[in-house]
Amino acid sequence: MKKSQGTGHRVQGAGAVAAGAEAPSILGSDAARLKSCPDTKPESEIGVLTMAAPVSGDGLVQIEAKKPVTLAEVRAKLAHQKGKKFWRSVDELAETPEFAEMVAKEFPSQASEWIDPVSRRSFLKVMGASMALAGLAGCTKQPDEPIMPYVSAPEDLILGKPVYFASAFPFASGAVPVLVKSDSYRPIKVDGNPEHPYVKGGSDPLTQATLLDLYDPDRSQHVLYRGDARSWPAFLAAFRSMLADKKPSGGQGLYFLSATVTSPTLAAQWQQAQKNYPQAKFVQYEPVNRDSHYTAGKQAFGSFVDAQYRLDQADVIVSLDADFLGGATFPGFHKLARDYAQKRKLEGTQEMNRLYVVESVATTTGFKAEHRLAVKPSEVAAFAQALAGAVGAGSAGGYSWPDHETKFLQGVAADLKASAGKCVVIPGEFAAPEVHLAALAINQALGNVGKAVVYTDPVNPMASLQTADLQALVSDMNAGRVDWLVILNSNPVYATPADLDFESALNKVGTVVHLGSHVDETGEIAHWHINNAHYLEMWSDARAYDGTVSIVQPMIDPMYGGHSAHEIVQSLLDEPDVSAYDAVRGTWKDQLSKGDFPPHQANSGLAGGPGFEFNWRKALHDGWIDGTAYTLKTLTAKGGAGAASAPGGGDAIEVAFRPDSNVYDGRYANVGWMQEIPRPVTNLSWDNAAQMSYATLEKFGLAENDAVEITVGGKKIIAGALAIPGQAEGVVVVTLGQGRRSGRVAGGVGYNAYLIQQSAAPWAQTGASLGKTGDIYDICVTKSHHIDQRSVKAGGDGSGTHSIEGNESLDRGIIRYATLEEFKSNPEFAHEGEGRDVPEPDETMFPAYRYDKNAWGMSIDLNSCVGCNACVAACYAENNIPVVGRQQVKIGRLMQWIRIDTYFEGDLAAPRAHFQPMTCHHCENAPCEQVCPVGATVHSPEGLNLMIYNRCVGTRYCSNNCPYKVRRFNFLLYSDYETESLKLMRNPDVSVRSRGVMEKCSYCSQRIQEVKIAADKENRDIRDGEIRTACQQSCPTDAIIFGNINDKDSRVAKIKTQERTYGVLADINTRPRTTYVAGVLNINEELARDLGEYSS
Amino acid sequence: MAQIFDRSSNALARMSLILTGLIVIALGLTADELQRSPWVTRQGQRADQPVPFSHKHHVEGLGLQCQYCHTSVEKSSYAGIPPTKTCMNCHAQIWTDAQLLEPVRHSWATGESIAWTRVHDLPDYVFFNHEIHVNKGIGCSSCHGRVDEMPIMYMQNTLQMEWCLNCHRNPGKNLRPTSEIYNMAWTGASELKPVWCAAEDVAAGSPTAGGVTCTETAPGGEVQMAAVSAPVTGVHAQLAGTGIGSEDTGVMHLPAGLHYTKFTSQAALGLFLVQHYDIRNPRELTSCEVCHR
Repeated sequence: MKKSQGTGHRVQGAGAVAAGAEAPSILGSDAARLKSCPDTKPESEIGVLTMAAPVSGDGLVQIEAKKPVTLAEVRAKLAHQKGKKFWRSVDELAETPEFAEMVAKEFPSQASEWIDPVSRRSFLKVMGASMALAGLAGCTKQPDEPIMPYVSAPEDLILGKPVYFASAFPFASGAVPVLVKSDSYRPIKVDGNPEHPYVKGGSDPLTQATLLDLYDPDRSQHVLYRGDARSWPAFLAAFRSMLADKKPSGGQGLYFLSATVTSPTLAAQWQQAQKNYPQAKFVQYEPVNRDSHYTAGKQAFGSFVDAQYRLDQADVIVSLDADFLGGATFPGFHKLARDYAQKRKLEGTQEMNRLYVVESVATTTGFKAEHRLAVKPSEVAAFAQALAGAVGAGSAGGYSWPDHETKFLQGVAADLKASAGKCVVIPGEFAAPEVHLAALAINQALGNVGKAVVYTDPVNPMASLQTADLQALVSDMNAGRVDWLVILNSNPVYATPADLDFESALNKVGTVVHLGSHVDETGEIAHWHINNAHYLEMWSDARAYDGTVSIVQPMIDPMYGGHSAHEIVQSLLDEPDVSAYDAVRGTWKDQLSKGDFPPHQANSGLAGGPGFEFNWRKALHDGWIDGTAYTLKTLTAKGGAGAASAPGGGDAIEVAFRPDSNVYDGRYANVGWMQEIPRPVTNLSWDNAAQMSYATLEKFGLAENDAVEITVGGKKIIAGALAIPGQAEGVVVVTLGQGRRSGRVAGGVGYNAYLIQQSAAPWAQTGASLGKTGDIYDICVTKSHHIDQRSVKAGGDGSGTHSIEGNESLDRGIIRYATLEEFKSNPEFAHEGEGRDVPEPDETMFPAYRYDKNAWGMSIDLNSCVGCNACVAACYAENNIPVVGRQQVKIGRLMQWIRIDTYFEGDLAAPRAHFQPMTCHHCENAPCEQVCPVGATVHSPEGLNLMIYNRCVGTRYCSNNCPYKVRRFNFLLYSDYETESLKLMRNPDVSVRSRGVMEKCSYCSQRIQEVKIAADKENRDIRDGEIRTACQQSCPTDAIIFGNINDKDSRVAKIKTQERTYGVLADINTRPRTTYVAGVLNINEELARDLGEYSS
Repeated sequence: MAQIFDRSSNALARMSLILTGLIVIALGLTADELQRSPWVTRQGQRADQPVPFSHKHHVEGLGLQCQYCHTSVEKSSYAGIPPTKTCMNCHAQIWTDAQLLEPVRHSWATGESIAWTRVHDLPDYVFFNHEIHVNKGIGCSSCHGRVDEMPIMYMQNTLQMEWCLNCHRNPGKNLRPTSEIYNMAWTGASELKPVWCAAEDVAAGSPTAGGVTCTETAPGGEVQMAAVSAPVTGVHAQLAGTGIGSEDTGVMHLPAGLHYTKFTSQAALGLFLVQHYDIRNPRELTSCEVCHR
């Protein structure tokens, strides 16, 4: 294969035309992909769908030959574009016939065809019979409904009124303090605790998903011994008799393998136990660990420390492969995202921060950056060292960089030096320890320590180097030294690097005990399986990333009588039957006995002493214990940046491993919401893929959707190839967490990347090889959905591409942004250009509505949105949105009410991206309302665009006429009416929609009604900020503001008067109630000139 | 060849055309009536209940107040069905051996709920809220009928949407003073049973009900007659002058110094209460999202 000129390395200007005519085709097309999806459940463990012969017959569609597009064609098309050009997928960019065909249809291919397992013929048969009954069915009476009142009602319970409890979601990167909405003592919503001193509300997709995790019908429900149900006392008897036997030898041969311990109480329990059993060993291992960070900390400071970054004090932020805006995986995410966004609001100031990102994996953080550089994983350390050298924090290293990188490096270094003391360098969790050392040295040299960077004790009480510990454990297991292995909340058979071969080592262990929420890969082969209590079911404690302690309190009795690690470790102590509740109270007894308490408590004679009981209740009520944040450490790093290892050879393919942004390390793989919500950047749903750049695809002669075999260290997996704009070249990104063997949701989705992970370098491997298998791997991607077909008439650039959202987003001003300089010189930039003015209200046949009192409106700040998906997950939980499954997602029937559109801009290899949350705009002049034949979508006196489910007959005219493509139709019965555990989870204030009904964002109408009733009862107006929509509540960056726009003092009304506020497609006179605040980028003008960026 | 059809067939054909039309209309009317009939709505039907609980006996006979059992009616969307404990408060002492109460004792002994059959059963897509109705002057009997005269509970009204809208379009005709919410015998104001009401300004943020005082017995002091067509807006203006000294004539439970208006029709009373209870206007009250979410 000829290597095409110019595609071998990095950034191409928009004008670079590259490959020759014989360049192989690289792009599968979305349209083709959408066509080629018969039932897609992969059969083998690694999830390959071997392409079958075209299937014929009712309901299935012939797979058509693809007409792939070449990179050259795409580049050529880009070359002719002038000015800004936005696109959402490469098919769109390339204007393939398949793409045109696809957008010409209302829903993506097949959406209007009947492709159920039920064939059309048998459907007609059934319908024929039902038609006869249809007349009668209309008159069917409601079935009798029983009322089951309490036998003895809880004292404080008012049925129908939710109660909120503070707790915390224990997570290895720092606990997320939460406020749990509880209806009749069933948790129905998990949100960030807005009063918490560190996290201050906001959440993330994983925190939201823990709710569905609690109600997961696949959770293990029994104690099992070799697959048979046993009782908990039976296990305790066996466990304690073993302990009695081992007591004389000090616990020789007793090993624990736990997920990262987040609970100070559990750590205290273990430290006690260690005294009783000095020979017993406790190993922590979690696939997503902080080994790099701790290694560097140990080297520089002699001890494990955590670094907190205070972005409110940083004007310049440099990320070295750190995805700190990507989600809770990054320690301190909520605070980082909030502080980052706070300095981009431009409210009353024209100052903002500037973000540079050097990254080996395309992330949302990278695309939010003003300047982004894609490098290989092996180059990150060398870059970090060079940067340290350039700012005078060490030697620059001997690696010589190409011109582009050198310019970038010098630009960043100059900016860092200019803002010394007000900048910060953040190293990535998955980068090598050298990167952390370099960051430490740079931050120290520039005087940032104590300002934008502070050091504290590690948030996790038993910080350790987990991979090394796991390796030692496995060698002990192989040597037969492990007699009993107690695995706590971990799934090592699935989630450990393949070279350790944990499963065969496990066979050499005498007795294996597995405490877990599911009978997973490990639970299946363990001798004992103990069903774990969910964090919403148990007592525990955890620290937020700043050290503030939260008590984890149960919201519901363990649904399946689960048990926690506290109980198992307690068995090793002198008083083995102390409950987790008493253990947690014991841990904080001293802390909580201090401080003030009201005098009347002094004589109350409560168990724990007067002050303690008062403060304990306060801590439970508030959700944290005052004064437990870590004190800051004054530390000086020793040794400087150190020498980084040289980057891998030029052409070697590198494999980067990352946890999945939704299913994490695999523990949330059975949570339907997490599988379904499209991942940021990749738009993958129900899948993972081998992500690589277009040039890399081309280099290996691959097309998107091809099955590729990735070989690392002799181990192989097969994955689908997916092209990612902006991905560093020569890198294949694989994500962990899929390819699970069991679970009704998780089973068989995607491939298992752990099968090629190596413990020596878990996050990046050089020397991998990539091969084409010749099969098609049918990836599930949503990026080309929601495209409007009418734009062919609606204008555009006349090129014949038919996507408003993509090609026309510049012309129609869907995304508007400017650089800070442009904004300063022209604050009205968002309203300039053709077609951007909002028509006069009278330019319509339809009389304007009047809004007397309240007029609800929303504003979304595109500068603050980091595309983290928290709003999407929160919307699923709040509005009972069904999960539709992989096949339905592929044909465009995803039910999410709010989605995050990603618009790429510029060159394929180095695009910029813009994230835009898109949901119902509640138009004052709504196109949907005008076409509904049955009045199922109507306007409220407060400007809500209402959807009345019981009136809807499913014509879908409204969806057809919606320019924003935000209406979702229940093509099939998506809501699960059967599974008992899921019924407990539903929000009782929102209808569960049945088949044949349209639905869409309601601005959380149920929350509006609740507050209106409360205000009416109290005879007052609704206060500003009293109503918070679910998306607004979950947003960690406060990007979404909701309120009454008739009230000129409300926050949303004030934002809507800002110059940067604009309405999407407002020129067609929809008068949207949701408006956006245009983005402003604080670019480094000098660097931009050098690199040729932002020159439109 | 003779004609197959006799001339008289023409009349038959015409008749059958007309008949067909009539049958279609009759079917439509039947379906319409059927949809509103108790067969569909269950209006007036007595469901089989595990215990034949008599509201008549407990409310009229014993004088239990509604909220003794339906505790959350003022506080929540759901009025509340009493737990077994509430029954046992009394029936641990009286009628301890009654065969009828066996299910109650069984529930108490075993901890299993008594499985009642819901009488007032709205469809799942309708979100009704008791607290706002009760706090804004809709009495129990306005919807549930004379519960105190029902030996076995049944549904007085259809609870169909048109019935709801009837009131939401004109709430005044069913409004009563909040002091009369639990009065089953309330019939509204009329010439024979006039109602005297006084309103005082309440600070924003305190419930409107607190600012309205009503009585069915003539209070002392100045009384202004309100006719059906009287502009009620005037009342409020008059009441602003609080200095009107009216002697308290011994009706002790009434606050002194209030300026009462006599209402002899429900329409006038409704108008007065709509204003002073700050009831939303019909346009807002009939918006779909009020009940459907």
